[in-house]
Amino acid sequence: MSDLTKTINRVLSDESDVQRATAPYQADFPYERDEEAQVTRREFCNFLGLTSAALFIGAGGFAAKAALDARKSESFVAAPIDGAEALAPNSSMNFNYPAAGDSAILVRTSDGTYHAYGQKCTHLSCPVYYSRDHQRLECPCHEGAFDVASGNVLYGPPPRALDAIEIEVRSGQVWAVGRRASTDEHES
Amino acid sequence: MSMKAELKTADKQRSQAGQAAVWQARLIMLVMINIAQLWILAATVDAVLARHYSVLIPLVVGSGVCFLITLSIIRWWRPTSRKKTSSGYVRDDYR
Repeated sequence: MSDLTKTINRVLSDESDVQRATAPYQADFPYERDEEAQVTRREFCNFLGLTSAALFIGAGGFAAKAALDARKSESFVAAPIDGAEALAPNSSMNFNYPAAGDSAILVRTSDGTYHAYGQKCTHLSCPVYYSRDHQRLECPCHEGAFDVASGNVLYGPPPRALDAIEIEVRSGQVWAVGRRASTDEHES
Repeated sequence: MSMKAELKTADKQRSQAGQAAVWQARLIMLVMINIAQLWILAATVDAVLARHYSVLIPLVVGSGVCFLITLSIIRWWRPTSRKKTSSGYVRDDYR
């Protein structure tokens, strides 16, 4: 066994030997464990700087995505809404339109007419539901409400009406044919 | 202790207190700017959801200005006892 191996084994055999063996390095890197856990003012400043950069990038990213979405012209393909014919008056059902991941809500009012809207609340995108008792669309998150006939805001924090889904009745079957986003603030 | 040494010690203590104040001011300003940027980000998300696209550019510009101020505070603000030399910022003591 070489001297080096012997030395290694001897050093690893005892913690105090390890400390003694690493003593020269402690002179070059004089860090105490307790001090390492502390955050210096300079480190905290740098952290705040990184946070500032992240917040700036986040705001810019949201704005860029919104600008891209606004410029994108969507073309919609008509799709039948399965089960809409069997929907009882003063009740609702969910469906997906225009894409499989876009949740929407179809409401049949007491007089038998159909109304469809995107299910995302325009406040913070919670799913809205149809309240039979009040005959309106309500958002459970922040207590916003929308008119079932127009989708306009009745009260609460939503800044604009729900996205309307255009529907047609073809040969007794209900079809979704388009989606229209509102932009006006509190159209009611 | 001689008069000269006492004056030097008092001067050093004042300098250290001043530097601590500058550091505190930097930290407070950075935290305040971060809070403002957080508010701007929340307003941006609100504007996107509400499709109020006209306010997006001012919000992003505002956030960018905040970031530049943050950068300037971190990079270029120094206690007054530190002077810029050809080799960087040094304390008066070391000059």
